[in-house]
Amino acid sequence: MGRFFWKFLLSYWAALLLVVLGIGLTTWLYRLADEGRDASLESGPRATFVAESAAATLRHGGVAALRGVMEEWRRHGDVELYAVDASGRDLFGRPVSPDVLERARARAESDLEWKGARRVDLPGGESWILFVPIGHRSGLARFFRAGAPPSPWVPLLVGAVVSLVFGAALAWYVARPIRHLRAAFASLSAGHLETRVAPLMGRRRDEVADLGRHFDEMARRIQSLVGAQRTLLHEVSHELRSPLARLQAATGLARQNPQKLESSLERIEQEAERLDDLVGQLLTLSRLEAGVADASRARLESTDLVDLVASIAADARFEAESCGKDVVFSSHGETVADVRAELVGRAVENVIRNAVKFTAPGTVVEVTAGADAADAAFLVRVADRGPGVAESDLDAIFEPFYRGAAGSSGPGFGLGLAIARRAIAAHGGRVDARNRPGGGLEVEIRLPVGAPGLLPHRSA
Amino acid sequence: MTRVLLVDDDVALAGMLREYLHGEGFDATTAHDGEVGVEEALSGRYAIVVLDVMLPRLSGVEALRRIRTQSRVPVLMLTAKGDDVDRIVGLELGADDYVPKPCTPRELVARLRAILRRSEAGAAGPGGPVTTGPLSLWPERRHAEWEGRPIDLTSTEFNLLEVLARNAGRVVTKAELSEQGLGRPLARFDRSIDVHISSLRQKVGRLADGRSYIQTVRGLGYQLVRE
Repeated sequence: MGRFFWKFLLSYWAALLLVVLGIGLTTWLYRLADEGRDASLESGPRATFVAESAAATLRHGGVAALRGVMEEWRRHGDVELYAVDASGRDLFGRPVSPDVLERARARAESDLEWKGARRVDLPGGESWILFVPIGHRSGLARFFRAGAPPSPWVPLLVGAVVSLVFGAALAWYVARPIRHLRAAFASLSAGHLETRVAPLMGRRRDEVADLGRHFDEMARRIQSLVGAQRTLLHEVSHELRSPLARLQAATGLARQNPQKLESSLERIEQEAERLDDLVGQLLTLSRLEAGVADASRARLESTDLVDLVASIAADARFEAESCGKDVVFSSHGETVADVRAELVGRAVENVIRNAVKFTAPGTVVEVTAGADAADAAFLVRVADRGPGVAESDLDAIFEPFYRGAAGSSGPGFGLGLAIARRAIAAHGGRVDARNRPGGGLEVEIRLPVGAPGLLPHRSA
Repeated sequence: MTRVLLVDDDVALAGMLREYLHGEGFDATTAHDGEVGVEEALSGRYAIVVLDVMLPRLSGVEALRRIRTQSRVPVLMLTAKGDDVDRIVGLELGADDYVPKPCTPRELVARLRAILRRSEAGAAGPGGPVTTGPLSLWPERRHAEWEGRPIDLTSTEFNLLEVLARNAGRVVTKAELSEQGLGRPLARFDRSIDVHISSLRQKVGRLADGRSYIQTVRGLGYQLVRE
């Protein structure tokens, strides 16, 4: 049981005790004020009403009518009214102690609100006293009325015990999930990212359970982010290793046979360039992920997007032709927008290069550029005739270091599309891929240009 | 020339290593994925196999498992530096040794020679079994028996067991085991000996009182129990 439990329990208990004390005090004062209390006579509204009714009957119907009414009441057995005449005899001959009669008489004369007794003087000079003595009622009422009034300590004690029990239950109910949450936070901060609290919350539906759900959501996100970072680091170290292994092999060859020095140096240069390229791409990727692109919106340049894509397509065509492939470019309209031309250019270039790399020899990569129908976005579509991508992997190809199922062993690191997606996302746009009917992949770059300047949204 | 099979998906690297190995007097053949690698390794044409752990289609570890189900050809694993899991799994599956990648080709050749020397030295050694208790070893045939039943050991396991058997009743340090059994000095944090010994323990029977035949002498090394 933590501090929270005790605080909750004690304050709840104190509050209930105060209430009980307050009520007890009020009742006690009320009783003090009830000056006309009498241990032998009924008072209160009910007895008063009975006495009044009987008095009215007697006044207007005489003794015979009263007797009739009283017989009726006695049959039902709920009221024991006594009607005593001036000589002290009850109408039904029931014994009446002179003491009680004396009290009833006094009460009938009093000016209390609820007398519960009546004196009736008939025109014939007869005088009757009507009252309801205590002790002629049944069961529970008698039990409570019989003894002395209970001490004010009794309700206080009962209240204390009951409130203690309920307070403990309530405090436990509230404190338990908080204890679970506290343990979960401790576990998470100790590095157990798989910690979840939902199973411990059971079927609760309240604020604490909501908190638990938010905790789980947070833990899940942290876990997936850390996992992605870990994978990235693993991939990076693996990618760095391959050029290094080749560097070492080339150095070894040069040492072993000085005649191979020239070819080895060439190889070493190649690998050094490759390493440089990899490090450069990783830096770009990490800058994009860190949101540097957002921070430097000041560097937005007004750019003719169609022209930008056209020049990249032309370069790609030049390279593609050397390996028996082709790139055709078509466009419509003209779109000028404020973008970071270098980032957008690199994104488009990466997508087109990727298409050229995968399209089958002898086929054509089609690049189209232009505003979409609603004129709200600038679209670039790059379609190849390569092997395409498994439907389930259409999103995964934009992850860093994605390798196709066949384990593509071509040049490149698998960073191009990842950089493209993040660069376009930094402009509030998106890059998606779908397989083409008839084979091949089509990648669509959608850059919103509706508003002047570009939206700086970045999808995480 | 000693025939070496080089299984590595990095075509450029494999090509250069083949060239280097040729210069060192090896006849190297390359394979670029696990499936081809396993097929070639099981052909019986090679004295030793160099196997990269990261392979497309069939991982190096899985390839090793397949090779070991049918062959005891010595296998040298190329593992990623710092990835202990691959290394230990590889050794447990019966790899003879490992080289962290990237490594210098010189180091690779040194390891290859060490493994080959061990397996050939045994074959050329003096005849007659080395017998200690229920264990008999025929180094020239690379054959081992426990209570008359043959046990299937990899080349490295045989070497380690032979070193222990020749020194039965005496504690053999890990450094000695590494020098004599693996043919290389013991490196810091190198757990290969422990992994090999652990798989040896599973192959070699237990003593009548249930103790392991190969005793660990903590902080020193290992010892074969001598009755």
